[in-house]
Formats: sequence, C-alpha cells, structure tokens
Amino acid sequence: MNVIPCSIKTLKGLYDISGVEVGQHLYWQIGGLQIHAQVLITSWVVIAILLGSVIIAVRNPQTIPTDGQNFFEYVLEFIRDLSKTQIGEEYGPWVPFIGTMFLFIFVSNWSGALLPWKVIQLPHGELAAPTNDINTTVALALPTSVAYFYAGLTKKGLGYFGKYIQPTPILLPINILEDFTKPLSLSFRLFGNILADELVVVVLVSLVPLVVPIPVMFLGLFTSGIQALIFATLAAAYIGESMEGHH
Amino acid sequence: MASTVMAFSTPSQLHSLPNPKLPNPTLTKPLPLPLPKPLPKFPAVAKTLTGTLAAAAAAAALSPLPSLAAEIEKAALFDFNLTLPAIAAEFLFLMVALDKLYFTPLGKFMDDRDAAIRAKLGDVKDTSAEVKQLEEQAAAVMRAARAEVAAALNQMKKETSAELEAKLAEGKRKVEAELAEALQALEKQKEDTIKALDSQIAELSQEIVKKVLPVA
Repeated sequence: MNVIPCSIKTLKGLYDISGVEVGQHLYWQIGGLQIHAQVLITSWVVIAILLGSVIIAVRNPQTIPTDGQNFFEYVLEFIRDLSKTQIGEEYGPWVPFIGTMFLFIFVSNWSGALLPWKVIQLPHGELAAPTNDINTTVALALPTSVAYFYAGLTKKGLGYFGKYIQPTPILLPINILEDFTKPLSLSFRLFGNILADELVVVVLVSLVPLVVPIPVMFLGLFTSGIQALIFATLAAAYIGESMEGHH
Repeated sequence: MASTVMAFSTPSQLHSLPNPKLPNPTLTKPLPLPLPKPLPKFPAVAKTLTGTLAAAAAAAALSPLPSLAAEIEKAALFDFNLTLPAIAAEFLFLMVALDKLYFTPLGKFMDDRDAAIRAKLGDVKDTSAEVKQLEEQAAAVMRAARAEVAAALNQMKKETSAELEAKLAEGKRKVEAELAEALQALEKQKEDTIKALDSQIAELSQEIVKKVLPVA
C-alpha cells in the first residue's frame, strides 16, 4: 500500500529538482476565449527584436554598407537565394512570406535558447520559445497551406486542381491527403523539435548542472537554426511545386 | 519532469485544473498501475483487490501530498485556442511590417546599387576604348614629330653639304686658276729662254763660221 505514496514522493523529488513545466500555460481570457499568455508575450518580444533591429540597421542604407546593414543584406540575399532555388524565377512576391517565416521561426527558436526567460517568473507556466507551443506552429503552417493554394490558383486558375489527378487519377486520394499532411508535418516537426530540444537541455541541466549540457545547448542552437531553415525551405518548395507546370 | 511523466502516463486522473472548460478530475478511478490480472477463477477476490487498490490510490492522491495534486496539473500540450489565430495575425502583421521596413526598401536599394555598379563597370569598359584611342593619337603625334625632325635633319644635312661643296668647288677653281697662271708663266719663261737662246745661237754660229772659214 505504500508503493504509490513512495513513487509519488520520488516523482515529487524529481519535480523539485528539475522544475520542468511542460504543457502548462498562463491563461488569459479574451471574450470568453482562452489564450496562452506566455506564448503571446514571447512572440511580442521576438517581433520587437526583429522590427527593432531591422529599423536600426536599415533605416538609412549606405552604398558601402555598415556592419548591421551588411548583415541584413546578407540575410536578405540568403532568403532571396532560398526562394529562388525553390520557387524559380517568379520568386519575387514570395520573398516577404518566406523571409518572415524564416526570421520569425529562427529568432523564436534562438530566443528560447539564448534569452534568459526563466528570470521572469510567471504566476503559472513559464516563458519559453513561442515555437514550443503547438498553436504557434500550426499558426505558421496553415498560412503556408493558404499560400501555396493561392500561388497555384493565381498562376493556373482552376487548372491548378488538375494536379490532383497527376500522374494518374488513382493517386487522387493520396494527392488530397497530401494537402492535410503538409501542414501537419510542418507544424509537428517544428513543435516536436523545439520542445524536445528545450526539454533535453532542462533535464540535462537538472541532472548535471555543469559542463555536460553545453554541447547539448550548442546542438540545440544548431537544431533550432536547421528547423527554421527547413520550415522556410519546405514552405517555399510547396509554393514552387504548386506554381510549376506539370506536363 | 514529474509533470511530463504524469502527463504522459496518467493524464486525466490526478489533477485539479485551473481551466474551467476541462472536466473535473475524477479521483475514483483506479490508477493504471501494473496490477496482476484478476484470475478468472477468483472473480470475487479480484474484485475486492481492485476495489481496495482504487480506494488506496484515491487516499494516496488526496491525503499524503495535498500540494502535489495541485502542482501537477494536466499537461495541455495539444489544446488549441485563441493563441492560434492570435499568432497567425501577429505573423501576418510581422510580414507586412518587415516587407515595408526591410524586404522591399533594402531589396530595392540593393538592386539599384547592383544596377549602378553594373553601369559603372560598363563605363569603365568604354573608357578603356577611349584610352586606346588616346594612345593611338599619341602614337600618331609621336610619328609626326619624328618625321618632322627627320625632315629638318635631312634638310640641314643637305644645306650643309651644298655649302661645303660650293666652298670646295671654289677652292678647286682657285687652285686651278693659280695652277694655270703658274703654267702660263712657266711657258712664257720657256719661250723667252728659247728666244734668247735663238739669238745666241745665231751669234755663236757666225763666230764659228768666222773661226772655221779663213778670212778670205
């Protein structure tokens, strides 16, 4: 009969050591609907960082770029290159979408690893990268779906739906299924990676507070960057795929 | 950590929730611990065992650690709510803002600079043609100058040699004139001498005749 209290005591001990809070949110009520306040707060910070740095660096562009401008020009060229590779020659109008996607996810992920969110105590839940909430990743994946539908429909009109019976009508169900799996895989990949990354770091820190977590933290930074790149690349690839002609 | 474990193993049984929408925790159900399967031979025993365990679980969850039940709440990993449209709206806002502040202006600036650099490069190529032309012009000027100098030199040479020849001819003429004069004088002297000799010859022959012939 003492088994259960004992196990709960052990769990309580572990809980006290690590203090990881997963899936716990600070709720705000807005018009009878609930909202995850910690995600909203961190996303505001991320947006503020992005807009602030952009305004400071690009406010007054020089012909011979200064350091900050040089960095942002590099980023812009990187995004343009990525869009061009995936979408093709008509990449121009999609640069803001792909670029914002990449920058928002990248800064969100890195903010979870680099900004000392834990310093700020919330009454409930804790601040972390906005991308470790499924709401955020779905909120990024759904516009991607809308974007590639929009791209295909504006480029080819209703003929866009012809791709569902390409190369053979037998694949119709699978082609329709793809429209659901694309945002699903996009959102869950990002969500899972970032959540797992933060969990691994926190658990390692709780077990061995010194030295050992550092490589994992660097790995986390690397993963975060890669995930942002993957998300943006896939979004661009989907848009390019729906715009390209299939014969 | 504990909350993860609890969330994934027994998500619905242990917690009191601050979320009013979700159902209240049900503490009467037994915990899904690895219980021995009730043997079909002894259904009554199994029933009482399960019942006891359930009661124990309820007691354990309630009495010994009242704070834990409050602390470990349901891990709401997959609850979709207003956060989703809020973030989507924020994303769209960020996209428009970044487009206005960053992508369009800086992109345009970079394209303009590219075009300017390209134009300047083209200009540089044009100037190289100009430089070639200028070089040719310089070479032509050099050639003309050289030809002029050579012509002047030639003329000078010619003039000098003509002068020299004239002087030479004059000298020759002078010498020849002097020579002719000298020869003439010599001839005259010779004639004079011969004339003198002739007259002497006549005298001598008369004397010889006088001496030879007896005076008759």
